Amino acid sequence: MVTYIFLDSFWKRNHSKHWKMTRYFALFRVLHTNDRKEGSLFRLLFTSTHIIWDNISMKDETCIVMENKHITKKFYMLKIKAPYISENAKPGNFVMLKASSGIDPLLKRPFGVFNTKYPFAWIYYEVVGKGTAAIANLRTDDNVRALGPLGNRFPPLTGKNILMVAGGRGIAPIHYAISDYAPANNVYLIYGARSAGDLNLVAELKKLDMKKMFLYTDDGSAYQKGFVTTDIRRIIAEHHIDVTVSCGPDAMFESLAHEIGGIGTENWVSLEALMGCGFGICYSCAVKTTADEYKKVCSDGPVFRMEEIAWQKQ
Amino acid sequence: MLRRPGFQDGGNRMAKTINLSVDLGFIQLKNPIIPASGAFGYGEEFQAFFPLDILGAFVLKGIYKNPRKGNPPPRIHETAAGLLNSIGLAGPGADELKKIITRTAGLTHTPIIVNVCGGSDEEYLEVARIFDAMEEVSILELNISCPNVKAGGKCPAQDRDHTFRLVKLVKENTKKPLMVKLSPNTHDVPSVALAAQEAGADCISLVNTFLGMAVDLKKRAPVFKNIFAGLSGPAIKPLALKLVWEVAKTVSIPVIGIGGITTGKDVLEFILVGASAVQTGTINMVEPCASVRIINELEETMKALSITNLNEIKGRLKL
Repeated sequence: MVTYIFLDSFWKRNHSKHWKMTRYFALFRVLHTNDRKEGSLFRLLFTSTHIIWDNISMKDETCIVMENKHITKKFYMLKIKAPYISENAKPGNFVMLKASSGIDPLLKRPFGVFNTKYPFAWIYYEVVGKGTAAIANLRTDDNVRALGPLGNRFPPLTGKNILMVAGGRGIAPIHYAISDYAPANNVYLIYGARSAGDLNLVAELKKLDMKKMFLYTDDGSAYQKGFVTTDIRRIIAEHHIDVTVSCGPDAMFESLAHEIGGIGTENWVSLEALMGCGFGICYSCAVKTTADEYKKVCSDGPVFRMEEIAWQKQ
Repeated sequence: MLRRPGFQDGGNRMAKTINLSVDLGFIQLKNPIIPASGAFGYGEEFQAFFPLDILGAFVLKGIYKNPRKGNPPPRIHETAAGLLNSIGLAGPGADELKKIITRTAGLTHTPIIVNVCGGSDEEYLEVARIFDAMEEVSILELNISCPNVKAGGKCPAQDRDHTFRLVKLVKENTKKPLMVKLSPNTHDVPSVALAAQEAGADCISLVNTFLGMAVDLKKRAPVFKNIFAGLSGPAIKPLALKLVWEVAKTVSIPVIGIGGITTGKDVLEFILVGASAVQTGTINMVEPCASVRIINELEETMKALSITNLNEIKGRLKL
């Protein structure tokens, strides 16, 4: 007898008006019921349930959009009702989102989690192509497909002086990490962006229990003119930083690696990559390591040690 | 708490009347859904989403003798309803895959298909022999779309004689059923299919990805370092359907249809034009549980169209 369980039947939800009712139900199907020698039906169902539950680390959920707020320029904040993701996501994890069940845009897109509070998850994103444009068009009560939580997490730390470094939309996972680190560590933040309109969420960041925040814009249109790397060595020395955690564009990582690689701090980076699947099967999101091999950003990362990545142009 | 439509809404009765199983002659599959090579990892990754037992079979990511790094990024580019990929057949090598297969076989009784790659005829044979010796492997799929060193980078699938030679070599030296996966990137696919059949192939699977390209306007350069990349996804379905139909008319061995399948209806279309079973590719990346949905849809669609057995409609396209 072959039994299978399909947890959280998104298909039923997607195509039924009563999807809320079916949301927490598992769908059981029993195939080939002609062979009854293997044991009682219920024992089999029971055993399978446990096997499946143990293995599950990520889930493909259909979520409702609670709010999709335009912030500035191409930046948005999406709030979704995602019970599984909000309950299980750790700082550093990401989710794959797709605006509809249609075939264009086809693939889901990866986003670092900005914050969670059961049953909600917040995603801060920038519109960069047709996938994110479709997500920007979502309205309250629309459905969005979300796969997650995915990837590894930022290392758990206590009693350290931590310097967080964020560039542009890279603030999303950094915000989530700060909310995790803040009470038990001394957290400092360097946050930079191209210009005033790209440097968002400062009010949100001020609510977190941080020691100090350093803000930069490339063109000086707000806060201090400069890059995240401008004063980084001085800040590290002044505040006796033990660990740095950064997220931003590749160019930022390259100058960061140049500035702070090998000065004795423990450096963690969270990478962004073009992804096909998000869970390690398509091998699209390759990043070159210093050992001259490729690692998958989605399942080996997205968090790596800075020293592990070959930063020169790939 | 658990809803079981199988018991509550007459699913049992339905199960007796609708038969999803397919017979390929050398193996019986419980349904025609086979996740394709490259879109299903090594199988075990999907155990987190659904039990592999529900599948007809599944194909592992293509394997060479030695580990391969793959191509430099970018490796994918999304197009209208499609996906261009230039992964470069990255893989851990045959020895490591043997360990993975042993592990995966412990999770499921579903037949495992190994996608055999090679840079030369000798390498194809070597890899095929390694997995021919593994009890856990049910079928060998010969990926004749790999660039061949001795043929100046051309793949065997682009040449009728090379296909014949290679399939014959592998078939004569292995015992397991041999599935030959054809490329659409040649002017006469049916004649290559016929060559594979004459050389002893047990079945044909088609199509592999269509070669395409993408341009980066800002850089005024091709997106991919290799310039060309393989197109898959819903965009190629009509092209694949045509080729499957042409090949199914030409050969007498079973044909497995591949190309842009995303719904139960797509499956029936491929079977109607002559496929015995299908492989699903890109949709598995987009939607990890796609196989579960497609199997359910297939059953529902068959019920709606009063089809009780897939054999009834296989190749029965009315002209």
